[in-house]
Amino acid sequence: MANWNVSQSGLDWAGGVNWARMFHDANFWSSLFRLFYFSFITTSLQYVLGFAAAMYAWKGFASRRFFRVLWLVPLMTTPSVMAIVWRSIFREDIGAANGFLRLFGVDAVAWSTQIFPATVTITIAEVWQWTPFMFLILLAGLLSLPKEQFLSAEIDGATPWRTFWSITFPLMAPISIGAIIIRLIEASKIFDSIFNLTSAGPGNSTETPAYYLYTRGLREFQISYGATMGLMYLILAILTLTILGQIFARVSKPRGL
Amino acid sequence: MARIFKYAFIFLWSTFVLIPLSWALVTSFKPPAAVNNGATFIPWLQFQPTLDGWKDITGVSGYANLFPPLLNSATVTFFATLVSLTFGCMAAYGLSRFSYGWKHYKNPDIIFFFISQRIMPPAVLAVPFFILLKTLHLLDTKVGLVLVLTSGLMPIVVWLLVDFFNQLPKEIDEMAMLEGCNPFEAFVRTILPLSKPGLTVAGMFAIIFGWNDLFFALVLTFTNVQTLPVAVVALNGTVTPFWTLCASAIFSILPLVGLAFVVERFLSKGGFAGAVR
Amino acid sequence: MKGSTMNLKLANVSVEDEKEVILKDISFDFQPGKIYILIGRTTSGKTSLMRTIAGLIEPTDGEIFLGQERLDEVPIWKRGIAMVYQQFINYPHRTVLNNVEFPLLRAGVSKADAKAQALAMLEKVGLTEFKDRKPSQLSGGQQQRVAIARALVRNTRVILLDEPLMNLDYKLREQLREEFRVLFKSTADNVTIYATTEPSEALFLGDELLVMHEGRIIQHGKPAHVFENPATIDVAQIVNDPPMTVLDAEIKDGKVNIGNLITFPTPSHLKSQKDGKYKIGTRASEVILGGSESNSEEGVVSLSEVSGSETLLYVKLNVGEVVLQLEGIHDYYIGQPVTISLAPSRIFLFNMDGTLCAAPGN
Repeated sequence: MANWNVSQSGLDWAGGVNWARMFHDANFWSSLFRLFYFSFITTSLQYVLGFAAAMYAWKGFASRRFFRVLWLVPLMTTPSVMAIVWRSIFREDIGAANGFLRLFGVDAVAWSTQIFPATVTITIAEVWQWTPFMFLILLAGLLSLPKEQFLSAEIDGATPWRTFWSITFPLMAPISIGAIIIRLIEASKIFDSIFNLTSAGPGNSTETPAYYLYTRGLREFQISYGATMGLMYLILAILTLTILGQIFARVSKPRGL
Repeated sequence: MARIFKYAFIFLWSTFVLIPLSWALVTSFKPPAAVNNGATFIPWLQFQPTLDGWKDITGVSGYANLFPPLLNSATVTFFATLVSLTFGCMAAYGLSRFSYGWKHYKNPDIIFFFISQRIMPPAVLAVPFFILLKTLHLLDTKVGLVLVLTSGLMPIVVWLLVDFFNQLPKEIDEMAMLEGCNPFEAFVRTILPLSKPGLTVAGMFAIIFGWNDLFFALVLTFTNVQTLPVAVVALNGTVTPFWTLCASAIFSILPLVGLAFVVERFLSKGGFAGAVR
Repeated sequence: MKGSTMNLKLANVSVEDEKEVILKDISFDFQPGKIYILIGRTTSGKTSLMRTIAGLIEPTDGEIFLGQERLDEVPIWKRGIAMVYQQFINYPHRTVLNNVEFPLLRAGVSKADAKAQALAMLEKVGLTEFKDRKPSQLSGGQQQRVAIARALVRNTRVILLDEPLMNLDYKLREQLREEFRVLFKSTADNVTIYATTEPSEALFLGDELLVMHEGRIIQHGKPAHVFENPATIDVAQIVNDPPMTVLDAEIKDGKVNIGNLITFPTPSHLKSQKDGKYKIGTRASEVILGGSESNSEEGVVSLSEVSGSETLLYVKLNVGEVVLQLEGIHDYYIGQPVTISLAPSRIFLFNMDGTLCAAPGN
C-alpha cells in the first residue's frame, strides 16, 4: 500500500529518468524547503500555544470547562472548509482582515499577492486549526499526572514558574514528544489550506510537496513522476523522523526520565 | 502579575478562536451589498441580515443542497470508524499481547510500519487507490470511500489502542486463558469490557479525521457520492458569493461541534487517563 | 473437572531467553494429594517454573507430563490448571460471584450448578456477603480470597499459587495461612504447588519442600528435614530467616578454630570430621549474647533491627559478621561493644565448596 513502483504502473519501464528529473527539479526541492519552514514553525507555535492553553484550562478557575469546549472546536472543523472561510477573511478588497485594518486607518495588506503575507495567512490558518490538537493531548496528559510531586512542591514553597519548569514540563516530556512527532507527520502533508486558501500562490511561494505532487501527479497526469517524488519524500520523512526521535530520546535521558 | 498574563492569554486566544467562526456566521446572513462594498461586521447596525445564503445551500433556492452530502459524510464516516475500530482493536490486541517477528523485525517495527502509512502525502496514494477502486468497480461509491478511509484511519486507531492495551495488566487475559478461554475469547470477554475509554478516544479521532477528509473524497468520488467537504469546496470552485460560502461553512461545521462537548465531558471524567501515553 | 489421581512430571525442563538462563534442567515428579512448597529468592525461578507449568512460558527444552499425556503440547486454555497470582487478579468488570462462576461456566458446567458451586466456595473463604460487589470495592485480603476461590472452585488437577500472601500485611498473612491449611485439605487429589520466600510459610503449610536457586532445584525433601539438613550454604541461607552466620574455620587437633579468636573443642557431632578448612554456620537464634570463654569474642554492633517482637543484632567481629536474634525488644546503638558466644553443639559444618558435612541434632 505504501509503495507504488514505477515499473508496476503499467506504463513503460522508464528506468532512472524520473529520478534524474526529480533531482534537477528546483520546484520540488524548494517546496521541500518550504515544508521545513511550515511544518516546524507551525508545529512549534501550536505546541507553545497549545501547552499554554492546556495549562490554563487545567484547573483552578471557574468556567474552565466552557473554555475547554471552545478551544476544542477548531479541531472539530473541516480544514478545507475553514480554509475557504480564511480566504474570505483575507481577500484584499472585501475581506475582514483588511476591513478591520482600515477601521484603524492602517493600509490594506496584500494578503494573496505578496509572499510574506501569503505565508502568514497559511500559518494563521494552520495554527488556528491544529493548536487544539496539541491542546487536547497535552491537557489529557496534564489531567493524568500524579498529584504527589505537586503537593510536595507546594509544601516546599515553589513558585508556579519554578514548579512548571522543574516538575510539570519534565513529567510531560514523553507526551510532548509523541504529540510533536504526530503533529509533524500530519503537518508535513499540509494540503487543504494551500489548496483552498492560496493555491500555492503567489506564484509558487506557498507550494508544499503535497500540493506539488498533486499538481504534477494528478492534474498533469504525470503519475510515475509523482510516485517518484512521493518515494523520495517518504525516504526523507522517515530519515528526519528517525533523527528527531534520537534527539528527543537523548534529551529526555539526562533528566532521569 | 502572572494572573494578568493568564487572563490576557485566555481572552486573546478565545478571541482568536472565535474570529473565523463569528465572521463566517455573520457573513452568512449578509445581503450582497454588505459583502461587495467592503467588509462589514455588525449585524443590524451595518446591514440587515437575510437568509439568502442559507436558502442557497439548503436547496430552497435551487442553487445547491448540502443535505445529501451531509448524509453521505455521516454514513461514510460512521462505517469507516466502525470498521477501523473493529479490526484495529483486534490488531492492537495482537500487537500488545503477542510477539510477532520475522528475522529481527519485531512488534515495534510493525507498529512503525503502520504509522508510516500516514506519512505519505495523499497525492501519492491517490493514484494507486484510484486504480484499485476502478478495478473493483468501486469508484464513486460509498463502499469504496469507506475502504480507503479505513486504511487511513486504522493506523491511528491501532497506534492509540496498542498503547492503551499495553497498560491493561496482561495477567487478566492470562487468567482468562487459564480458565478456559482461547485468546480470542479472552480478548472479547475480559479486555474489551475494560476498553471503553481507549475505544472512545480512538473512535473520536477516527470520526474527526474521517469526517474532515477532503482529498480522497475529492479524487475518488464524482457525482454519485459527494461528501460534505467536497461539496463545499466545489461551491468554492464556482463563482459563489460569500454569504453562501459562509453559510455552507457553518453548516458543515455544526455536526462535529457537538462532538467537542462530548470530548470535553470525556476528558473531564478522566477518560483519557491511560488512553494517551 | 473432577480431580483424578494424576501426577505432574517435569523432565529436563529448561527455559532460556536471549539474555539469560531462567530455568535450568528441572526434573521433578509431583504426586497428587501433596502440597509442594517452592522456596527461593525472588529471582530464583519460582514464578517462571509455575508459568511454564501453566503454559504461559514455553520451555526451550524438556517435557512436561500430566499423567501419561504431554502437557506442554496442550494449549493453555485446555490444560486445566488454576493459578493464583501475587497481585490480586480478578476480573474488574464482573461481580465477585460472577468471577467465581466464570471458570465453571467455561468448563461447561450448567448455570445453576455453577452458581451453587460458586456460592459454596465463597462460603468457604468467608466472602458470601460480598458476592454482588465488584472486586475494586473489596480490600486486598478479600480480593485475594476471591482469586483463591476462583482457583479452587474448579478442583483442577494442578493448583499453582505464586506468593499469594506477599502483598498483604502481616496480620492478614497469618490469618490466611491458617485458612489455607484448611482449604488445601479439601483438595486432596490435586497437585498443589505454592511458592514463597518465607521459610515459616514453608514449614507451616508444606508436605514437601523444593528449594530453588538460580533456576535450579538445589534440594528437596520434607520441610523439617531440609531445615535441619540444608544441602549447601545457599540452601541454608534460603531456608533461614534471619540468615545464618557463616564463618571460615579450621578443625585441627581436636579443636574448632575460627580465625584464632574463637576456639572450642570439637563438639560430638563433628568428631568424625577430618582436620582441615571448613565453613561453619550457625542460626541467628542460636548465637548467645555474652559469655567469656574461648568460644566467645568481642565485637561492635553494626546494625540493630526490631522485627515484630524480636530484635536482630548484626555484630561485627574480626572474623566476620554475626547475626543474632534476641527475644524481646532491645535498644542497641551502632558501635556498641558486645560479646558473642557460639554454641558448639549447634554448629553446622560445610565444606569449602559449600556442601554440608555435618548438621547438629542428628
